[in-house]
Amino acid sequence: MKKITRILLTFGLILPILIVSTKTMAQKEVDVMKKEQDTIKENVSTLRDKINGVEERIATAEADLSKLTKIKLSGYIQAQWQHLEAASAYPDNLFMIRRARIKFTYEPVQGVVFVLQPDFTPGNITVKDAYLQLNDRWLKTFSITAGKFNRPNYEVEYSSSNREVPERSRVIRAIYPDERATGAKLEIAPPRVPLKIQLAVFNGNDGLTIPDASGVNINPTNSDFDNHKDFMGRVTYTFKLGSVGGLSIGAHGYYGAIKANSLDVLNSDYTYNKTNDNIGKLVKKNWVGFEAQLYFDFLGGLALKGEYIFGVNGTPGYTSSSTVVSPMTSTLKNDTLTLTTLTTKTTASRPAIEKNFMGYYVYLIKNIGKRNQVAVRYDYYNPNTKLSADQIGTNKWDGGSSKTVNNITYAGTDAVIATNAQSKTVVTNNLKSGTGDIAYGTWTFAYTYFFDDNIKIMLAYEIPMNTKSGIVDEKTGLGNVTSNYTVNGVASSYDYSNVIKQNTLTLRLQVKF
Amino acid sequence: MKNFKKAKLSLGLLIVAMIGFAFMPAPTKITVKGSDTMVILAQKWAEVYMKSHQDVIIQVTGGGSGTGISALINGATDICNSSRPMKSSEIDKLKERYASMGVEIPCAKDGITIFLNESNPVSELSVKQLAGIFSGKIRNWKEVGGPDQDIKLYGRENSSGTYVFFKDNVVKADYAASCQTLPGTAAVVNAVSKDKFGIGYGGAAYAAGVKHCKVKKDDKGVAYFATAETIAKGQYPITRYLYMYLRNRPTGQTKAYIDWILSPEGQKLVTDIGYFPVK
Repeated sequence: MKKITRILLTFGLILPILIVSTKTMAQKEVDVMKKEQDTIKENVSTLRDKINGVEERIATAEADLSKLTKIKLSGYIQAQWQHLEAASAYPDNLFMIRRARIKFTYEPVQGVVFVLQPDFTPGNITVKDAYLQLNDRWLKTFSITAGKFNRPNYEVEYSSSNREVPERSRVIRAIYPDERATGAKLEIAPPRVPLKIQLAVFNGNDGLTIPDASGVNINPTNSDFDNHKDFMGRVTYTFKLGSVGGLSIGAHGYYGAIKANSLDVLNSDYTYNKTNDNIGKLVKKNWVGFEAQLYFDFLGGLALKGEYIFGVNGTPGYTSSSTVVSPMTSTLKNDTLTLTTLTTKTTASRPAIEKNFMGYYVYLIKNIGKRNQVAVRYDYYNPNTKLSADQIGTNKWDGGSSKTVNNITYAGTDAVIATNAQSKTVVTNNLKSGTGDIAYGTWTFAYTYFFDDNIKIMLAYEIPMNTKSGIVDEKTGLGNVTSNYTVNGVASSYDYSNVIKQNTLTLRLQVKF
Repeated sequence: MKNFKKAKLSLGLLIVAMIGFAFMPAPTKITVKGSDTMVILAQKWAEVYMKSHQDVIIQVTGGGSGTGISALINGATDICNSSRPMKSSEIDKLKERYASMGVEIPCAKDGITIFLNESNPVSELSVKQLAGIFSGKIRNWKEVGGPDQDIKLYGRENSSGTYVFFKDNVVKADYAASCQTLPGTAAVVNAVSKDKFGIGYGGAAYAAGVKHCKVKKDDKGVAYFATAETIAKGQYPITRYLYMYLRNRPTGQTKAYIDWILSPEGQKLVTDIGYFPVK
């Protein structure tokens, strides 16, 4: 009994202590938990602030990034080794960087595009493209381009980075030097209709070499120097040929002129152009071309592409002194003043000339699998269709007896072609047909291997063949159309009455990005 | 001696077997890439076809029509799925790289469906109203007969053919800046199903958890759901073809696969998935 009482007493004493201590401990735990809760709340709040900060930073970064996505960067580099078989070539084998271009395209808002494309060749930086383009956002049909850009022609607009052979055709290089021109262009390409119309207006002197009296090019910066503008137009239409391929056909025309820069203009056959005898005259640059590209699926891609172009291409000349136009005498009779005007013309140092030309090119391209491509091209360019091969190098109106045609007297030596009846001065033709009038046919064979979408290697062999031109002296066996060259101090010359070997082997590596 | 002969025989058989295996034809691999709208359909085609053609492996990935076309041009895929026709600039790239204009195969029809949240009282919209909504000119549901609440726009990324098609044929302007872009129609459907005041667009095959909105050509016209019948009759105003593109005419196993897709068996799967057959 005593034991029980003792236990109860002990329990009675301990229980309140236990209760009190438990309560105290519980209170402590609650306090700790409250503290922890507060700490967690603080941490959450801190984290929320941090997240908000990160979100703000992301929003700012996204805004900056969206600006950057409006800028596109592309370009390509072509490094090549060439072996030149022409006797005049020295060195006859060389490494070179043919192209090193970066294209910056900026589209700040949909439909407005700015393009700048410099070309970095060693020792020289030139601007190839610099234009802005406004695209119609509603009909998605019209676009206007202004600045410096490719002239609308198939081979001109076909990028060098995609071309199946190393260089453009000779006729295209002759009539569209440097490919680009400064001006404006309207393009009409309705969606869902495979029709494209391009209309352009240019200064017209881009890429031309125009010598002054001392032979210095007066057109190094391609800034315009006459009031005349050149017009160009091109139309193409594409037909689908079921699942086997398609055919694109088109035509383009060039209607332009350039200041003669000389007193006199010659016809294509090197006769004097009487109708063009006026101060500030222009020489014509008019031609048309017809093109077709056939794509046919025959064991993989197969393409046959070609273009035929013909017309008149004017080349400015130069004069040694300016023309003087002044009233020389005046008489007053019966209240009528009569002015007698005499025009003094100086002797032209080199007349301008309008040459009739024609040219064409045909490509046959076959892709083998995804990586291999073979291409063959034949191109032909006759820069002067009014002269036969044996007339080149000979003056049309030679010396000896004089001739009068349409009141123009042709007389004298080789250098004098006419007496100008209007100005009473001697018109001098010191421009004789020659190497610039020789027609060329060129075969090009090329093989391209595509390592991937960015890298390709091309091996090509180009065989240009001049038309045998000029008259051969029976005694010496030498032709009268020649050009001189010097290699390692040894002078020699080409005789164009033979086909001159000028073949070129090219090994080109291209990286595009 | 006997063991030695056995070993020689075994070795001989092993070599013959190894040579035999070496000359056994490896399974043909066909890669398919492109439209996210078509990815479910393309996966179903591949899955069913591979069951009956074990010598073929078909690998299907999405990424969007634009991504698929780029992959076709750079040689990374054999077949490109696209929910829009190729642009002339893209065909030009094929011409330049492969001397080919590519091969276009329409393989299904789709009615672009307008998705609304199931609780949204609006049940039909005209094409003009859709243009206003997605260009940001109409911003409140009450302007089209709904509650006085802001409209939440959900759309696709700009690499998507559906994005391009909807923009060119319905919106005919820039999308509103508030339009949230999502990767794939499934993501659009998911977002609209969770947003009472959301609206999205996408392929007809995606519909779980959202309601389809009837569409009418103009304000006075009759509104239709995108069904096989309304699409066949030209009543549903937002329809399009779904395409497969190849660099060249298909040959071998690729041709057999495409022929099968265009066969009644392949076209039945088009209907099963929720699109509409071309034949």
